[in-house]
Amino acid sequence: MKKIISILFFTVFLISCTSDDIIMTEREEFYGIFKSLVTRNFSDPPKSSSSFVKRKTSRWLSKFQQPIILVSSTDYKNQATLVALGNNDEKLTWVSADGISMTFDQGVLISTRGYSQDLFSLRYKNPSKLFLHDKLTYKKIHRYLNSENRYIDITFQCLARKIPSKKIQFLEYKLIADKFLENCKSEQYNYKNEYDLLAGTGIVIFSKQWISPSNKYFLTYNMYAFQKT
Amino acid sequence: MGELENLVAWLRQFFEKPSQKFEFKIMFFLRCLVLVSFNSILLILNFMQSVKASEYENTNSLNTFGMPGEIDLPSAVSLPDGQFSPSLTFFGGTIRTTLSFQITNKLTGAFRYARIPIINGPFDGYVWDRSFDIHYLANIENRVVPSIAIGVRDFIGTGLYSGEYIVASKSIGERLKISGGLGWGRLAGQNGFNNILGRTDRGYRDVGFGGTVIADKFFSGNNAPFFSLSYKINEKLQIISELSSDLYYHETSNSKGFTRRSDINLGIKYRVDPTLSVIATLIHGDAIGITVNMGINPKNSPHKSGIEPAPMPILRAKYRVQNPKLEQEILSESRRLLELEGIELKTLALSGSKIEVGIVNRRYINISQMIGRVARILSLTSPPKARKFKINIIDFKTNLFVSEVIIDREIFERNELNFDGPENLWESVAINNSDKIFFSEYDKNRERVSWSFYPYLDVMLFDPDEPIRFHIGAELKGRYELSPVTAISGSLKQPIAGTFDDIKRGPKAGLPNVRSDFMYYYRDIGSNVYIDFLTLDQYLKPMPKMYAVVNIGLLELMYAGIRSEILWKNNKRPFGFGLDVAKVKKRDTNGSFNLKNEHYSTFLASMYYDLPNDWIVKVDAGKYLAGDFGSTLSLKRSFNNGWEIGAYATITDVPFSTFGEGSFEKGLTIKAPISWITGRKSRAVHEATIRPITGDGGARLNLNKEKYLYDVINEYSEKNLYDNWKRVFR
Repeated sequence: MKKIISILFFTVFLISCTSDDIIMTEREEFYGIFKSLVTRNFSDPPKSSSSFVKRKTSRWLSKFQQPIILVSSTDYKNQATLVALGNNDEKLTWVSADGISMTFDQGVLISTRGYSQDLFSLRYKNPSKLFLHDKLTYKKIHRYLNSENRYIDITFQCLARKIPSKKIQFLEYKLIADKFLENCKSEQYNYKNEYDLLAGTGIVIFSKQWISPSNKYFLTYNMYAFQKT
Repeated sequence: MGELENLVAWLRQFFEKPSQKFEFKIMFFLRCLVLVSFNSILLILNFMQSVKASEYENTNSLNTFGMPGEIDLPSAVSLPDGQFSPSLTFFGGTIRTTLSFQITNKLTGAFRYARIPIINGPFDGYVWDRSFDIHYLANIENRVVPSIAIGVRDFIGTGLYSGEYIVASKSIGERLKISGGLGWGRLAGQNGFNNILGRTDRGYRDVGFGGTVIADKFFSGNNAPFFSLSYKINEKLQIISELSSDLYYHETSNSKGFTRRSDINLGIKYRVDPTLSVIATLIHGDAIGITVNMGINPKNSPHKSGIEPAPMPILRAKYRVQNPKLEQEILSESRRLLELEGIELKTLALSGSKIEVGIVNRRYINISQMIGRVARILSLTSPPKARKFKINIIDFKTNLFVSEVIIDREIFERNELNFDGPENLWESVAINNSDKIFFSEYDKNRERVSWSFYPYLDVMLFDPDEPIRFHIGAELKGRYELSPVTAISGSLKQPIAGTFDDIKRGPKAGLPNVRSDFMYYYRDIGSNVYIDFLTLDQYLKPMPKMYAVVNIGLLELMYAGIRSEILWKNNKRPFGFGLDVAKVKKRDTNGSFNLKNEHYSTFLASMYYDLPNDWIVKVDAGKYLAGDFGSTLSLKRSFNNGWEIGAYATITDVPFSTFGEGSFEKGLTIKAPISWITGRKSRAVHEATIRPITGDGGARLNLNKEKYLYDVINEYSEKNLYDNWKRVFR
């Protein structure tokens, strides 16, 4: 009897449906979350690959009809190509296919959306002035929203310095880049951001920037600097 | 086997009460602590991993009562604000299930349902008992002064756990914590002495039918000291020893309970993570037990600020190709983009420098976030001459226009990425009740019929014969819209399995059985298909700030008739007023269309007040179903992410003795949003009302939640938008 009841209930569960598309969409999303949780628990973790960027060439880049950037977690397990969809006073917002967006002001990451503990906004020094200095101390405030929609502000005291130019490879190009290091400390958290600037300019071609306590660092490869307009 | 018996005998001897003298008990307490410390060292190597501290959850400070404390005794700590903690304890025949809630930073409340061994216990030697506790942290520890807390256990109920305490706790270094206090009532069962407050006579506590507060007995009668000592071995493991003054009179006077061999409780607390901890206990030298404490804080979603896709970024006009567009083109493009966001665009009109839209929110529990997404799409699709966005919000179920939000486009775009963007934008935003009445322009393709077929699970708690009863089955819901504001809606349920049809308790005596005979319905329905509700719903909006609904038909499982609610709500004010009137007949107990010849009428006037903090107060007054007159006070804490936790109590002119067990109608309410768990946008919520006793006094109709107007309208109020406005650019 118990078996019959279980089968009946499970059948009802399986055939449950509605005429409402919104509810069906939410249901599918919910199953998707459940499914990805199960798969994550029982499947091998994604393999990291630092060759993610090394394999890219200008020929590969030329296929894109719109500006793109590549982003990656520091272990290269999460990687995405983002396209520019927003431009608000030269602050560019890049969006991935799965709906994560990152906004940069002249190479400095100032906000993210859709990535759990998002960087909601940032109080920062104007990058065009910042990157001119060889050594500088300043304050940055990272703003987050908690799950009750209240602000969490983390104030960092930063020391930045530029180190001498060095050769780097980007796509197949060998370039001279200035490295700009930003060492920031708060009461609870510390981070070290890195920016590779085209030598003698304020153009960021690669960066490693800290987003939030749970999201940590992300690497950004600014491919659009090498795309033909 | 012989060795095991010797060990048991030795342990029994060890924990045997050594002397009645208090100083000996202190020595014994210390001996036990040394013993537990020694044994625990063996476990340390396994539990060396550290656990990160959490500002939102702390289950390590909960005791076997699910309240701030060590093992059985209280300590002067509090939990993170907003945490609610389900707790489950087993020892010596006792089972305690507790749900505690950190009401404010310093105030903790709890509701408990416990199985207690007792002489001549009516349920196989046990009694099932409900109790409520309150704990207040009066002072927070500093370098010199300890933290101090005051608390009352089982202050509404039959008083089996009734006791009061004052307790002080002091940490010595990072690992050691000492607590000491004075207890009254049950906490003065052992080692007691004369009342230090001079309130010597505790006397007999006439608890009547339970459910009432007998405050004049608080802190009266003998008082007794209690102590506890806890030592944190590492971030995960803690050893605890207590000198308890609880006599456990009932539990030790029944063979189903245990023997109180000493005043000492010993325990090992293991913190799995901030949301889960386990206590292994040895209660009074005899009863081995286990407690599992869990903690959930609505303020701490596993997905932080959410993982729903990013909004459409703003692309300023100067970066866009500007071709003049017809209004119809703007409408179709906006509709397509808004649909991707889960928002239905119903109307769009461009007049001069203003673009006005009518939208239906289907997916956002956070209205400010939804408004932000609409403004972003309009910013992308509308021509530069549109300087203002007027967004009219239409409620999905009622089709009534509820609120209008006016946003200055330039200010919106300028603040998208600013540090204080939401605050700057808020200064220019106007929110009003919408002047429009209802959305009448039906699309030709609009489906008037909607339906769903889903499994359901109903749960009923606190029946002593079977404390958790359930019913599972399939539910077919349907809705047909006769006009935009008139619909027929209904629910057909097919029970598959459950224990609702086996309730042994009968209805209460003394009042017309308007609610307490609910068991007859489940008994007679059995496993047959039944109509849960079937109503004709007419929504009205006679004035911009006035909303009304009339429901006619089978209103709920037990009643059919006509019910009408009218609500006045100015969206700029934190308060609202309502009137709910109904004339009903009782339905036949088999869930069919048949009606009994029992007529009832009810009218209730309501006042709602949305307090400046997170609290919403509601006061109802009038005539309840059984013809009794009285008032209900409801208080709920509403979190910005959709969680709600509240309590209510109804006192009417029905004497407590006539109401019977429980004395008056009361309960707890919980609303949990699904988006909190998934991190995705969704308006789905799970709601539950926990009623310790179902009686006839203070009873009211119980329609589907969505048929009550206040929550529907208040969702779009200025205060609600302001509280969540920080999310407008999310």
